[in-house]
Amino acid sequence: MIKVEHIVKQFNKLKAVNDVSLEIKKGEIVCLIGPSGSGKSTVLRCINGLEIPEEGQIYIENQLFNSNNKEEYTKLRSKMGFVFQHFNLFPNMTVLENLTLAPIQVMKKTPEEAQKIACQYLERVGLLEKKDEYPNKLSGGQKQRVAIARSLCMNPEIMLFDEPTSALDPEMVIEVLEVMQELAKEGMTMIVVTHEMGFARTVADRVIFLEDGQIIEESQSEEFFSNPKTERAKIFLNKVMH
Amino acid sequence: MFSAFDQIFTPENLLFLLKGALISLGIAGLSLLFGLILGILGASAKISKNVVLRAIGNVYVEVIRGTPMLLQIMIIFNVVPIIITQLTGQVFRMNYYLIGVIAMSINSGAYTTELIRSGINGVDKGQWEACETLGLSRWQTMKLVVLPQAFKRIVPPLVSEFITLIKDSSLISTIGAVELMNSARAIGNQYYEFMSPYCLAAVYYLVMTLTISFIAKKIERKLAESD
Repeated sequence: MIKVEHIVKQFNKLKAVNDVSLEIKKGEIVCLIGPSGSGKSTVLRCINGLEIPEEGQIYIENQLFNSNNKEEYTKLRSKMGFVFQHFNLFPNMTVLENLTLAPIQVMKKTPEEAQKIACQYLERVGLLEKKDEYPNKLSGGQKQRVAIARSLCMNPEIMLFDEPTSALDPEMVIEVLEVMQELAKEGMTMIVVTHEMGFARTVADRVIFLEDGQIIEESQSEEFFSNPKTERAKIFLNKVMH
Repeated sequence: MFSAFDQIFTPENLLFLLKGALISLGIAGLSLLFGLILGILGASAKISKNVVLRAIGNVYVEVIRGTPMLLQIMIIFNVVPIIITQLTGQVFRMNYYLIGVIAMSINSGAYTTELIRSGINGVDKGQWEACETLGLSRWQTMKLVVLPQAFKRIVPPLVSEFITLIKDSSLISTIGAVELMNSARAIGNQYYEFMSPYCLAAVYYLVMTLTISFIAKKIERKLAESD
């Protein structure tokens, strides 16, 4: 479904992503893990087009993801939902307005239709009663659940999560992970950049371990955690599992 | 010092000063309005991707902010009549108020350009990214998400700009416009005593500026509620 071939992304002189290739199948849940600055978020942002790699190609459903071909690019992009570390909800709109903005503006749905769908997704993330609140009245965990619902309203086939729980207080991590787990069960294709090793181990099908902009190890998640092959993965796991 | 205060402190003179004050307020208000329009254009130029537009925006802001307003008024005072005469072929009858509004609008526009630009830039770039991932166009993002948030940051400094304009409108007394400053001077000339009318003018200025900043504080508090 997604194929990344030899992408390179530089910031100034630093190669944040250095020759990364990977493939994600439909329905698969893949976690990108690694130390800070390993380039995992940048890989994810390249897949969505938030960063444009200098070298290499990305294919979405066998079609070249190329920003020069505007129409095709927009179409491919609309297949992907993106969840940010810092939620990026629109503070000037209510929860419901946050969810209906893009369906009305981009998919040209009627407000009634958009609201109906938005309410369904809010119900699913357990926040229907907050629909008329402004984001500043929500807790971090609630904000992130709203952000996930907002992405789902665009009916994506792939969900990309960029450290969705890293900005949350510890007691709120679980409610967000539960929503993601729910999505995984329904067969959503997901790529998750995360520091939540428990989630990676139990929910992900596959784990990709990056360091210094390169893929160091890639294996089935259970195997990665119980029997890491590379020395660097072992060192990393020793540091984060305690 | 206030030798003629009793003669000066009459309803007629107070009314005369009030008329001047209203003219000052009107000139400042119009300048703020046209300055806002110029500011929107200027800010659009400064954040556009077009290099030429950006350069024009930069030159406008730097030239205006780097030179005294009094000098700008003098230049407009000399240049505008020539241009209008050239265009219409008829001798232009000088309107001091019009010249004042033109000069002050151009001046205010430069400051407003920066206010709007920094208001827009102050909106978190995550907002742009979120819109991008949801498929909104740049223009939709600007109109529906960024500008409404920028607006809140722009209103308070825009009110300060209004207050500055009220005070600076006294500068156009130098080209002969009879606003509050010149009205006070006229009374002074009449009674050969200037302290009384100038102090009265100060009171009028203060009533205007303090009232506006009081209203501004209320608006600010209101806007902060939804943060």
